[in-house]
Amino acid sequence: MSLLEVQGLSVGVAGSPHLLLRDVNFDVKAGEVLGIVGESGSGKTMAALAVIGLLPNGIELRGGSIKLENLELADADRASERVTADISMIFQQPRSALNPTMRAGRQVARVLETNQDLGKKDAKAHSIEMLRRVGISGADRVARAYPHQLSGGMCQRVMIAMAMACRPRLLIADEPTTALDVTIQAQIFDLIRSLVAEIGCGVLFITHDLAAVAEMCGRVVVMYGGQIMETAGITDLLDDPEHPYTRYLLEATDKEVDHRVIDVGVNFALKGCRFSHRCPHAYHACNEFPPLFAIGDGHASACFLNKEGRVVTS
Amino acid sequence: MSLLEIRGLHKVFGHGSKAVPALRGVDLEVHRGETVGLVGESGCGKTTLGRIVVGLQAPTAGDVIFDGQRLEDLVGSKGFRSRIQMVFQHPDSSLNPRFRAGTTVREPLQLMKGGSRSDIEKEVDEVLTLVGLGPAYKSRLPRELSGGQQQRIAMARALMSEPELVVLDEPTSSLDQSVRGRIISLLREIQSARNVAYLFISHDLSTVRRIADRVAVMYLGRVVEVAETEEVFESPQHPYTKALLSAVPSFDPNQRTRRIILKGETPNPADVPAGCAFQDRCSLVHGRCREEMPKLETFTSGHDVECFAVPTLAASG
Amino acid sequence: MTETVPDRSPEFVPEEFEGPDRQSRTKMSLGFVRRKPLLVVGVSLLVLLVGLAIVGPFLVGDPLSTDPANTFQAPSAAHWFGTDRFGRDVFARSVHAARLDLTIGITISLLALTVGSFIGVIAGYFGGSTDEVIMRLTDVVLAFPGFVLALIIVAALEETMVNVILAVSVAFVPYFIRLTRAQVLKERELEYVDGARLAGNSSMRVAFRHVLPNSLGPSVVGATLVTGYAVLTVAGLAFLSVGIQPPTPEWGVMVGEGAKDIITGEWWTSMFPGGMIVLAVMAFHFIGDEFGGEAAS
Repeated sequence: MSLLEVQGLSVGVAGSPHLLLRDVNFDVKAGEVLGIVGESGSGKTMAALAVIGLLPNGIELRGGSIKLENLELADADRASERVTADISMIFQQPRSALNPTMRAGRQVARVLETNQDLGKKDAKAHSIEMLRRVGISGADRVARAYPHQLSGGMCQRVMIAMAMACRPRLLIADEPTTALDVTIQAQIFDLIRSLVAEIGCGVLFITHDLAAVAEMCGRVVVMYGGQIMETAGITDLLDDPEHPYTRYLLEATDKEVDHRVIDVGVNFALKGCRFSHRCPHAYHACNEFPPLFAIGDGHASACFLNKEGRVVTS
Repeated sequence: MSLLEIRGLHKVFGHGSKAVPALRGVDLEVHRGETVGLVGESGCGKTTLGRIVVGLQAPTAGDVIFDGQRLEDLVGSKGFRSRIQMVFQHPDSSLNPRFRAGTTVREPLQLMKGGSRSDIEKEVDEVLTLVGLGPAYKSRLPRELSGGQQQRIAMARALMSEPELVVLDEPTSSLDQSVRGRIISLLREIQSARNVAYLFISHDLSTVRRIADRVAVMYLGRVVEVAETEEVFESPQHPYTKALLSAVPSFDPNQRTRRIILKGETPNPADVPAGCAFQDRCSLVHGRCREEMPKLETFTSGHDVECFAVPTLAASG
Repeated sequence: MTETVPDRSPEFVPEEFEGPDRQSRTKMSLGFVRRKPLLVVGVSLLVLLVGLAIVGPFLVGDPLSTDPANTFQAPSAAHWFGTDRFGRDVFARSVHAARLDLTIGITISLLALTVGSFIGVIAGYFGGSTDEVIMRLTDVVLAFPGFVLALIIVAALEETMVNVILAVSVAFVPYFIRLTRAQVLKERELEYVDGARLAGNSSMRVAFRHVLPNSLGPSVVGATLVTGYAVLTVAGLAFLSVGIQPPTPEWGVMVGEGAKDIITGEWWTSMFPGGMIVLAVMAFHFIGDEFGGEAAS
């Protein structure tokens, strides 16, 4: 059974017919790291915010269901308590996600007090232990520091300690290392991997970096313009990408680039496939919204054409 | 003779007890028409180096020699400005928001080269076509352009004066992956069309590998290793270079097993330990590293490394 | 059944959904009215006042013609705002004064904006000792309340209209110096400024052609606020019989003249021009305030 199951999720700006997320489906199993990869405007962060119930003002759920262990989260009243208890999130800018006026140790301790019903003293001792567990040497010193006195990598460790202090069922990591240097990124990846193995939670790992996905995830969802393009196991995706967008993205990390792909931004007004106005293979059918066509075990692509340029019949 | 030669370059920000050294004796050369990739993590001084090379900042000590003349003698002289140009990191703020693309691109020609209006317009159209946009874009304001297109305009502005050297400061790091590849291949096309040399500053090693002929690795204000690109990626010698390369996320599962995870973080530049700056994170550290600062020595021809643990050509030969 | 499809068929045109239709657009502007009621009030008032200032003087009678037979008439259909001790029509005088006061207010504001942003850009862009000297002088000017400073300057000079405008402008210049300088300090850190230097611009050209136009936003907003305060200051000076003198139709002059009539019960000679001052200051203040909030967010 899946830990998190998202089905037909659609999200739009209030007062506008255009959808920022259109019919998005994915699921995360316990102990699994699911990657959502996409460029800016792909809707990857929007999907995460919808799951945790933090959609920005003026952005509304237009349909679909979000189930955490069979509890419907889209139904806001019943969900909020479960969400705070069972889902944790770490962000791209760790320093701005921490409270600048509170010492790092206190911030971790507060989470412990509210989530694990610990007394002040226990929470304090436990918070230092948590900081040690996320690989902070000199945890006592760091616990007494304010966020601005800590480096970005250190702040991210503190964030992770806070997220893990709740012993969440689901961890959402939104570009957790984009603001960090590669040597620090390697340390953080290592840390997330070992903590996830220890707690056994599911992870929704959101990034723009395909290589990071290859490192961290078993399965991947590729998004563009609020639409799922392709979903596959990581090896299938890297070795045998099906969707034109995925193939283009993989080429872009490689030496040569397909110059036939048009270089313009996302257009949320498109009726059909969101990639169609850039795609070198687009034809009349692409003005229809493509469903996900299954093409293998756990591998599906939202394109009317297969790699050979033949129309998929399903 | 090399186009650009940097010798013992120092730059200190602030004074007295608040002094922070950003560059601590950098040596580097760029030849005509080649691309040198300058890589390193945040705070290593790579951007400061780039800004000094184009004359936006003055060094504290050391020499920058451009085409045989000292940069400080050249800076005031007419005609120098047009010879070294720069493309910046943030395309959304590197263009004047009130200038149409045409005005931005025209300005260097009007100010530095002059010429009749029709000549200027012809040149503008030509360069806009070279960067893959074409004359139709002259009437666009920056906010009407995508990040990739903005960066192309910034490149056009830098190319207008036909520079011999362009400093590219993280030109692709704020762009999406699919746009990044296009900009890199465009940069290569421009280089072969105009024989311009690039100093390509980036923290993104895979991008550097795709464009650079030679790579210099910086750590805390010093170049610790420099060699031909493939040499650096295939046979890195400095322990920091090795760790940096191994930390890059990879599609190849084998590479992950060879990963070196560095201890700790980059020291505060205001408080660099005596001796080698990398000593506290290094697996090969020994007594000498804590007392003496290593120098950039030749490892093999064209491959220089700054580490006591790496045998020099002189010592081994 | 499969068929081979060639690369992007030339006739492919991506279709879009209809954009937000006209109805929802009007809805959006109505929402704007609800979100920014003060701005709407301010703009309506200003349109009214400016309309009055432009067209009004052609429609009402002579503001200076006296009528000894009809002094101190209470407001009526014939004299909307009543008449004063010389039998002059208070409405005609108020309308003519609107033209004068708004013109003076806007002139002062534009003058102070021009001079202030010019000096502010020099202080902010060049920094160092230039900045230091300019800011200390600004502090000196700011040490006097604007009204008192204007009062001193006008009193020291000949009491002409031009001198009033100059004096009040001087009092507001430091405000624009500070606003512009603060914005320039932010703006000059942006990469386009370096880009402009590398494109061969001299530092003067960078400062005035590139940085200044991008730094004017807060000052332009400030100028709306200042216009209101300038009207108030000029009227205040006139009320104290400094600067503009009777019988010129000017709000402050009228309030000053009419103030002594209140005790004898002829409130309309001072209340109506006073109300006009309030409306004008309110109009500019609401607009400036709401836009300032917008710019800051």
